[in-house]
Amino acid sequence: MPTLHIVRQSAFNSDDFAQCIQVLRDNDVIVFIDDGCYNLHHKLINSIDSEANIQLNVIGKHAQARGIKIDEKLFSVINMNNLVELTLTTSRVITWQ
Amino acid sequence: MTQSVNKLTAILNAKAPYSNAAGKDALDITLIFGSFEQSTSLFFQGDGVWQLIQGQDGNIISVKDYLKTFSAFEFYDIDNIYICQESLIERGLAADFHIEQVQVLAKKEFADKLATHHTILRF
Repeated sequence: MPTLHIVRQSAFNSDDFAQCIQVLRDNDVIVFIDDGCYNLHHKLINSIDSEANIQLNVIGKHAQARGIKIDEKLFSVINMNNLVELTLTTSRVITWQ
Repeated sequence: MTQSVNKLTAILNAKAPYSNAAGKDALDITLIFGSFEQSTSLFFQGDGVWQLIQGQDGNIISVKDYLKTFSAFEFYDIDNIYICQESLIERGLAADFHIEQVQVLAKKEFADKLATHHTILRF
């Protein structure tokens, strides 16, 4: 029963993403959106347990607009429609903002 | 036919008490849920843990002290109050709170407890 974590803030500027990582559980889903896209460059990304099967997604246009290159081996590029679908296929949503 | 499901709501507090209205807003919505007998739990994480620390007085800095209202939680049947142990440790804080029924949870228990709720509102 995964939780969808919508991360909207840069970890360079706030503790929100660090707190999100504190409560991550196996098979949870993260979407980086708005300034949350800057977290693709933050070292906290590396602290996510690779065996926890966390699904990492980023809103493509939001990253593109900020000049952030996406490593598609690590992150799935999604759009707003995909985000809406994720709210329906996960058990609960937490917005980190 | 309508299906009646008792949904559990979690209010996740992540901001210190006096720099913005987040804590007061969280309190207001908690008491509204309580008034309508909705099952509501309170979680405190990050700088949100400061809201529970003993010995605060917002009046000194001319801020209305909404923290005193926390003592009303028991009258609204809000008994499930959880605080993140890791956030306390990071800030060098002891488990000394201005209300009684607070449960200190380690990181994993905190995450697991949060995930038992259907709706999570973060302030």
